[in-house]
Amino acid sequence: MNPFLTQCRASFEAQATLETEVAERGRRQAEWTRFEALGWPTTRLEDWKYTTLSGLEKLSLQNSVEFVEEVKGGLPSLTLKGIPAPRLVFVDGAFQPDQSMIDGLPKGVHLRFWSDLDAPEREQFVRKMAPARALTAFGALNGALFTEGVWITVDAGCALEAPLHLVKVSRTGQRMSHGAVLLELGENSELTLREHCEGSTDQPTHSNWATAIELAPRARLTLVKVQQEGLLSYHTAALHALQRAGSRLQIFSFALSGALGRNDLTLRLIEPHAECVLKGVYRVADRSLQDFHTSIEHDSPHCTSDECFKGVLEGTGKAVFNGRVRVALDAQKTSSRQSNHNLLLSDKAEVNTKPQLEIFADDVKCGHGTTVGQLDEEQWFYLRARGIAADLARTLLIQAFTLEIAEAIPHVGVREEVRRLLSGTVGESDHA
Amino acid sequence: MLSIRNLQASVGDKPILKGINLDVKAGEVHAIMGPNGSGKSTLSNVLAGRENATVTGGSVTYQGKDLLALAVEERAREGIFLAFQYPVEIPGVGNVYLLKAALNAQRKHRGLPELDAMDFLALVKDKMKLMEMNESMLYRAVNEGFSGGEKKRNEILQMVVLEPSLAILDETDSGLDIDALKVVSHGVNSLRSPDRAMILVTHYQRLLDYIKPDFVHVLSDGRIQRSGGPELALELEREGYAWVGDATNEGVVAP
Ligand SMILES: Nc1ncnc2c1ncn2[C@@H]1O[C@H](COP(=O)(O)OP(=O)(O)OP(=O)(O)O)[C@@H](O)[C@H]1O
Ligand SMILES: [Mg+2]
Repeated sequence: MNPFLTQCRASFEAQATLETEVAERGRRQAEWTRFEALGWPTTRLEDWKYTTLSGLEKLSLQNSVEFVEEVKGGLPSLTLKGIPAPRLVFVDGAFQPDQSMIDGLPKGVHLRFWSDLDAPEREQFVRKMAPARALTAFGALNGALFTEGVWITVDAGCALEAPLHLVKVSRTGQRMSHGAVLLELGENSELTLREHCEGSTDQPTHSNWATAIELAPRARLTLVKVQQEGLLSYHTAALHALQRAGSRLQIFSFALSGALGRNDLTLRLIEPHAECVLKGVYRVADRSLQDFHTSIEHDSPHCTSDECFKGVLEGTGKAVFNGRVRVALDAQKTSSRQSNHNLLLSDKAEVNTKPQLEIFADDVKCGHGTTVGQLDEEQWFYLRARGIAADLARTLLIQAFTLEIAEAIPHVGVREEVRRLLSGTVGESDHA
Repeated sequence: MLSIRNLQASVGDKPILKGINLDVKAGEVHAIMGPNGSGKSTLSNVLAGRENATVTGGSVTYQGKDLLALAVEERAREGIFLAFQYPVEIPGVGNVYLLKAALNAQRKHRGLPELDAMDFLALVKDKMKLMEMNESMLYRAVNEGFSGGEKKRNEILQMVVLEPSLAILDETDSGLDIDALKVVSHGVNSLRSPDRAMILVTHYQRLLDYIKPDFVHVLSDGRIQRSGGPELALELEREGYAWVGDATNEGVVAP
């Protein structure tokens, strides 16, 4: 057993002795057993072929459950400035009521925390989280070790204009955090969720969350996630979404920093006229890797999916994009687009991109495209010929490449904010 | 201002410029004409610093400096402006951002304070009026989705904002309708002054009706085969290039 697993087992056992409820102990035991049965992900597994966890293996990280009180006691010196209400703040996996601001939420939005749920509710919560946790071994680990969870429900017809901010901070080195988010949107309801994943330590950390989403007919959810993790941080996240008739899910995922990030997203369109948009950016440089494994499953006719990921690779950075699209036999009139474009800016950087189309229906429109290229020499020359310094011109072009993804974010405030993040300080608001 | 001596350049192994000699003094406007593929754009690009053609011989002196030793952006800041024959689209980079960054880079280079947002906008809007351009163009990405004519107009807008010492206009008139040609010519003429020089690359006499050149040169097969006054353009319009001669013809006439 590697040091990481040894510590996970110790955490699991410590947690089990604290758990008073028999059913809950049983559920966690089942997840742990599943985790062990799946085995540690190595590059021998198809799904982990290009993503080595050899760095994580060596780490011995403590689970938050062992210090929840400590985090709650001494408030971390976070810069949450600029993140407006309503917001939910988690530090090292523990919910921070003092830093969160949720008073002004409309009546139709309900938040419940794992720690407050009664036994039947817990059973329900775990059942609804199961599809997300089934996606990877880390999902199983999440099921065994998770310390906190939030269950967000939006009533039918309720539309929340202001984005709800979900802030997850890895503040303390040598720790891991396992949290769960369950999002249920009622019929014809609407929500924008802005997820901030930040590291405020340069020590090793591991953040491992699971998110399960259910959209009732005509519900509309926009999820905008930005990973700005620390240099030595590991980030694994599994997301599963179930979409009913006429619902619309838009996910924008920006993996901007961290030692290793692995996002598994599975979106299932199970009733007619559901639509999903899945867009993202990954940026890697020396000693960093980002991996997106996405799966869009058209199980029903007349659904639409639009997927586009863009990557910027510098130094010795590595990235993996695996985009699976499955169109079931009776999912006629499916319209599906997928593209993955990469800017490979160094000889030592590496990208492994694989579209995986499994189309069983015959009356469908499905397109996909993949490119790996360098900066456009002509554009670079044009900017320099106007007196722009070579470096700045290069930076501008890299930003322009990724900004296209941000442009599609529907909420104007979130769009602006992400644009600023992608542009750094360059360009301010002058970008087109 | 500009002195080109026996300039030679190749693309790959293929010689394109085969010994160009040209002197441009402050206040002068030079027109360069010549058949397709004769090297006009290559010459323009070499002067601006583009590296897809390799300089294999000769020298270029600009305001007393060795031009070929300067980086692309240094040349621009020193007052060289190339209006591109085919302006490139740059999605994601705002037109207004580019204009401001370009102007301020140049001002900084000259030891002038950067313009603040207000002064800059006032200046640009003034120049847009001159170019009869819609202000909404400012907030679009550089040339993205612009029509051919709009791109050319945008090049000249950049030029009138940057007020270069040496402007090289590579077929700015191609693709312009008659009204646009007048507007663009008006923009170019507004910059004419005793301390500025211009090189106009064109295929058509028509542009020269609006912007009167002091000299006209014929570039063919990588060499300036003939030089003369404005009347040379009229002669070309009538006779075509057939009589100019090819590489073996050594009839170079100095201006
Ligand atoms: N990348 C390249 N590879 C090969 N040949 C090239 C390349 N770039 C330019 N050339 C060649 O160099 C020659 C000169 O081209 P240039 O664009 O300078 O001509 P031009 O005089 O501007 O023509 P036009 O009037 O059509 O604009 C042409 O024969 C062209 O094919
Ligand atoms: Mg040309």
